[in-house]
Amino acid sequence: MRWVRPVSAGVAETADVIGAKAHGLVLLHRLGLPVPAGFVVTTPACREFLRTGSFPAGLAEELRTATADLETRTGRRFGGGDRPLAVSVRSGAGVSMPGMMSTILNLGLTTEATAALAAETGDPLFATASRRRFLSSFASALTGTDVDAPHADTEASIPEDAADQLTLAVRAVFSSWNTPRARTYRRLHDIADDLGTAAIVQAMVFGNRDGRSGTGVAFSRDPNTGEHVPFGDVLFERQGEDVVSGRAPTLPLRALADREPAVWAGLLDALRRIEAHYRDACYVEFTFQAGELWFLQVRPGRFTGAAAVRVATDLADEGVLTRDEALLRVSPHHLEHVRTPRIVAPDVDVLTRGVGACPGVAVGRVATTTDAAVRMAADGPVVLVRPETSPHDMRGLAAATGVLTARGGPASHAAVVARAMGKPAVVGAGDLTVDGTSIRVGGRTLGEGATITIDGTSGEVALGRPRVATGAADAHLHRLLAWADDVSGDRSARGEAQRLRDAHAALRRD
Amino acid sequence: MTRPPETGTDLLVLHALRCCGYCGVARVAAATGLDEPTVESDLIDLAVAGHVVRPSGAWGLTEAGRAEDARRITDELETAGARPVVTAAYERFLELNPELLDLCTAWQLRPVDGVPTVNRHDDPSYDARVLDLFADLDRRLALVCADLSAVLPRFARYPARLTAALDRATAGELELVTDDIASYHTVWAELHEDLLATLGIPR
Repeated sequence: MRWVRPVSAGVAETADVIGAKAHGLVLLHRLGLPVPAGFVVTTPACREFLRTGSFPAGLAEELRTATADLETRTGRRFGGGDRPLAVSVRSGAGVSMPGMMSTILNLGLTTEATAALAAETGDPLFATASRRRFLSSFASALTGTDVDAPHADTEASIPEDAADQLTLAVRAVFSSWNTPRARTYRRLHDIADDLGTAAIVQAMVFGNRDGRSGTGVAFSRDPNTGEHVPFGDVLFERQGEDVVSGRAPTLPLRALADREPAVWAGLLDALRRIEAHYRDACYVEFTFQAGELWFLQVRPGRFTGAAAVRVATDLADEGVLTRDEALLRVSPHHLEHVRTPRIVAPDVDVLTRGVGACPGVAVGRVATTTDAAVRMAADGPVVLVRPETSPHDMRGLAAATGVLTARGGPASHAAVVARAMGKPAVVGAGDLTVDGTSIRVGGRTLGEGATITIDGTSGEVALGRPRVATGAADAHLHRLLAWADDVSGDRSARGEAQRLRDAHAALRRD
Repeated sequence: MTRPPETGTDLLVLHALRCCGYCGVARVAAATGLDEPTVESDLIDLAVAGHVVRPSGAWGLTEAGRAEDARRITDELETAGARPVVTAAYERFLELNPELLDLCTAWQLRPVDGVPTVNRHDDPSYDARVLDLFADLDRRLALVCADLSAVLPRFARYPARLTAALDRATAGELELVTDDIASYHTVWAELHEDLLATLGIPR
């Protein structure tokens, strides 16, 4: 086949051709880890599509062949039969960028296939919910809007035939390469405009199948501290993006150990194997269906700040890296972040976790409106807590010591303003609601005036005043810098970043 | 074709507080294009009517003022028959909004060795690249604003203020991008709020 490759251990092409995500899936296959059967439509096919406006000759036929192959491998029929096959479709460029199409789940759940899935599982509610999810995720992908937004018109235009749905989805992935946001991102970061994206098609595994199903994300080490403990979130009986989107309250990863010990054991084993391959901390996305674990994505952990220092020194101690390699793993820029105040475990009563949008820790009393923030700030620090922020909140933001919002990402208005004012900010705390003068979070209700602490690096929101430390990785940092001085031979007094820079310079000379 | 009616100064002042939140006379003057004595005089009349208050140095709407603004702004919209145009413009605005936010983020944070790092504005070529993208976005927003001001002339203030902010930023006043009450980001956010308020869409 010219335009399509099965995702398997034997694929030799680079991420330029099959995209970074599919490249990760190939790695998972090679490590012998469970990956749902699938294929990838390559970036050259996308480039042809973008050049001519239509699929290159032969691609339609190859999609049919690849789908038939997927049917054979799964023992299922796409869009119908007694055992219907549903797939996910994801974009996968060489580098991920904002504005690209996100995931379409449950594609192929036509009316007929949904009825068949209900009959096969004996669970019509599951089948119907999965079809709803397909329609809303497809409509949101086609319109580039949030999955929860109303899309009745777009949903009505989704074709009923499964093969037509797949064609439309692949076209949508390819077209999303040229959204204005993606173009802007490429211009800012010097990424060539003509690379194109791959599209990954994989047999669905359903995290919403039953009580022994779910979905999650995991780091092999704690991305906040670098400590060698698995870290992440899990959601039982939910699908795909729910964990990342913050749409539902998640459980800490360890909840798997009690509820699904086999999944937990499989996950720990996989994290070990992936770490051994990368020789670095790693990140995975996974789903488990009826107690069976599957991996959907993998990449290196890409830790920053104190966590990067800790992982590099630990890996050197474990004999995974040489000291020289450990030094090169840490960028001098990371050291500036080591000095940012952070919430430190233990004894932290974490209410929820959002996205850290402006680093630093803010401790203050909850204020739910700008007026309250201004009024209360006269008596001591306040944290402004809002569903999202508008220009109305500027005065509240100015009065507050930090800001917490339920909606929005690191590029939201709240984040932009918080950074402009240098205030710690946590945004997109999914299970936070603001009702009048109280907030509900982590299953608890807090009135205005309750003291909370937010960590704008990790995104943690904690009750009360947990211990806050600046440069918690001191022991690790000192060791790393001692190694740096050994390499550079320079023991004069100078800044930490400079000591590391000198070591890098010496290592690069050798 | 008749010219669409100009909004009265008292409604301009009232609506500026609706779109900016609590603020001082100077900011209302900048938002409305009125001189400060006119703004102050209107604010005093509005305060007497119970529509605005000045609890702590800044002016803001009362509940009654918010309701009065909603009533008069809706009335203006319907009288001008402008709802279809404003609705269409709002949809185009929403397509541009994520780009604005991406650009503000790029202005403030810059990945260095893969780490988002505060942009210290010590690399003029990077800043120039970001400002070029702002200018490109501004040209596309200007088309949306032109449609708006053709039916509701008060919207003409926005492209003027936005372009002025960008011109000043390009000339070296870097705070005019995201860090000032006259900044591109702030004026953009006011326009966003204005469109929501004008169409009666709750946040």
